[in-house]
Amino acid sequence: MNTFLERYSSTNAVSQLKRAQRLAEEEDEFTDSAWGSQAGYGQLMNGPPSFTVPNVPDPSSFLRLHTDDHADPNCRIKIQHGTTTLAFRFQGGVIVAVDSRATAGSYIASGTVKKVIEINPYLLGTMAGGAADCQYWETYLGMHCRLHELRNRERISVSAASKYLSNLVYSYKGMGLSMGTMICGWDKTGPAIFYVDSDGTRLKGDLFSVGSGSTFAYGVLDQGYRWDLTDAEAQELGRRSIYAAGHRDAFSGNTCNLYHVKENGWEFIANYDISKLHYDGPGDVAGSPGHGYGYGIRVQGRSSANPPEATAAA
Amino acid sequence: MSIMDHNGGSVIAMVGKDCVAIASDLRLGDRALSISSNFQRIFPITDRIYVGLPGLGTDVATLRERFRFRVNMYTIKEEREIEPETFAHLVSSTLYEHRFGPYFIEPVMAGMSKTPSGGYKPFIAATDLIGCLNFAKDFVVAGTASSKLYGVAEGLWEPDLEPEDLFETISQTLLNAADRDAFSGWGAIVHIITKDKIITRTLKGRMD
Amino acid sequence: MASADGGAYSYSLTVFSPSGKLVQIEHALAAVAQGTTSLGIKATNGIVIATEKKTSSILIDDSVIEKVAVICPNIGIVYSGMGPDFRILVTKARKSAQAYWKIYGEYPPTKVLTQEIATVMQQATQSGGVRPYGVSLLVAGWDSHRGPSLYQVDPSGSFWAWKASAIGKNMINAKTFLEKRYNDDISLEDAIHTALLTLKEGFEGQMTEKTIEIGVVTVPTAADLEEGKIGGETGRPKPTFRKLSEEEVRDYLAL
Repeated sequence: MNTFLERYSSTNAVSQLKRAQRLAEEEDEFTDSAWGSQAGYGQLMNGPPSFTVPNVPDPSSFLRLHTDDHADPNCRIKIQHGTTTLAFRFQGGVIVAVDSRATAGSYIASGTVKKVIEINPYLLGTMAGGAADCQYWETYLGMHCRLHELRNRERISVSAASKYLSNLVYSYKGMGLSMGTMICGWDKTGPAIFYVDSDGTRLKGDLFSVGSGSTFAYGVLDQGYRWDLTDAEAQELGRRSIYAAGHRDAFSGNTCNLYHVKENGWEFIANYDISKLHYDGPGDVAGSPGHGYGYGIRVQGRSSANPPEATAAA
Repeated sequence: MSIMDHNGGSVIAMVGKDCVAIASDLRLGDRALSISSNFQRIFPITDRIYVGLPGLGTDVATLRERFRFRVNMYTIKEEREIEPETFAHLVSSTLYEHRFGPYFIEPVMAGMSKTPSGGYKPFIAATDLIGCLNFAKDFVVAGTASSKLYGVAEGLWEPDLEPEDLFETISQTLLNAADRDAFSGWGAIVHIITKDKIITRTLKGRMD
Repeated sequence: MASADGGAYSYSLTVFSPSGKLVQIEHALAAVAQGTTSLGIKATNGIVIATEKKTSSILIDDSVIEKVAVICPNIGIVYSGMGPDFRILVTKARKSAQAYWKIYGEYPPTKVLTQEIATVMQQATQSGGVRPYGVSLLVAGWDSHRGPSLYQVDPSGSFWAWKASAIGKNMINAKTFLEKRYNDDISLEDAIHTALLTLKEGFEGQMTEKTIEIGVVTVPTAADLEEGKIGGETGRPKPTFRKLSEEEVRDYLAL
């Protein structure tokens, strides 16, 4: 594991080795950086990635100064605060649903962001916080999952994969990584979800939602969740929860990406436009209610004299 | 977060051929939480003048009442209806009265002003939150999506649009700009003002 | 206590006499009636206001005396009565016109400004420690809503519109003269001529361009109006009220 400490400590074994290596390599005309990004995955052959750090007395404060937060949204490094991601596990596997909006302040920078990272064909990770941080480290995680497979001739468990990631980001704790992800998969213990964030938290659970719209999603999830949902009902619940968040939260919306993790791997269900879900519903899919999700749409023309069918029957 | 962004909302006004259009979104929010999808921020002043008030929601209500008072007093005292240019100056001086504790609103006005020969000429104007007037000849924008509105309007506007074409242009401008702004949207309303009638339409927008 | 001149009631402004008069205002009107004659005539295409510029001595430099005053580009006033009171009212009227301009970006219509002046004059009839203004005013102006209009304002604060009127020393004779001469289709040129004739009726001494002042309201042409409120390079509205210069007065007198 590459730690910040190891890089700068001058008295431990690794650094002494490195110093010797450096002296030996000094005559080389081209450094590794000449061959492209030093952080490129090709460099990982030589060992854990090393990052250049600005030559200032306190690099982490320097970084904090340039990362956007509520104090100054005009900073150069933009953290994707606005988002809604959710995952829950049930008898049929794991449903993962995310929105696709990226905001920079109030500007909607993109409506087509992929917030589900396909780590490998049976593991999914969600993106919340810094997009680059999530993408990079989850792909890196994917590499190590494969190495694990090769070394141990069996798939890595979700628990182990999430722990690897969690320890990794913990070693960068305080440096300004921003990541709130859910590692989802199906392993020997059944469907599993682990919430991992850049503070070092790692939690196993049945149901999580992360992001600015998570409160809205929880509202729908909590009232609809049961272990023995059918596949269709579970997908509908995931969709409906992301719709609720996209509708009410200014920083979430655009489209919903829906994934279903089954025993033999994950399956991408579909991409739904959230505004279209409001007016027309998800269309002709399993679990669809047959009409728009929006409140105004559902109650149009309804009154106590003309109630919806369900309550009329009751 | 800026106070102007707290409730969100945007307004645009455009000039056409013997007509003007003014449009706004319908969202009222509390920072990230969207609360209402039918918040009115465009109000009629006379049969031929409409004013749009994007910005802080409480000031929308207060300014609307203030202008109603002052215009009523004007109408009674002068025994005639106020003209759009005069109303624009009235808006400007009302806002400057609060120079050091301003209303967090950037009004947008649209109307048909009487010409000396008895006809009507299209008129639009906007001010900043302390009353600096801007008499544009093509379009004026204000609100959280103003920068996006400028972009789309600059691309879509052309002079001498007939009322129906102006309606299409202003609608597309507002909807597409609002879709790029987190604090605007949740529906829209458009008023087309000609010399003898006003056509109001509500648009279906993205509900996210 | 009541007597012909009001008796005890005549010394307090804020007390009505038994006959329902505010005697101070009656006295103010008497002060006006002692002032030099002024008159105004409304024509179809303008208004003329004029007054005698009577000086008590030939040694007075009469080029400095201003009895017809410009309030704003479209309104002018003339008075009969106490000169100093007139000066104050002119200042207040000018400030009021500018305050209106500051809010609305345009100058007030004649009626609105007249109401403002009348309010000022009325306040001096219902406050403690002040006396009414000892002037009657003739306010002449043009606005796009009503066209040319002529108003008289009295010390009591009441005002009303005239087609033609006179105030001051010779007002009764002058009004009789105007009633005979006035008709609704009178043109501005005829009105100026009639005004001079009326003034001459009661004039004491020689009537020359130095002993009278004339102000004229003209109606803007359609071309002027189309140009808009902002006129010319200066960006200031084109004036519709102006005082005639001495040469112009001389030319009219020669007719």
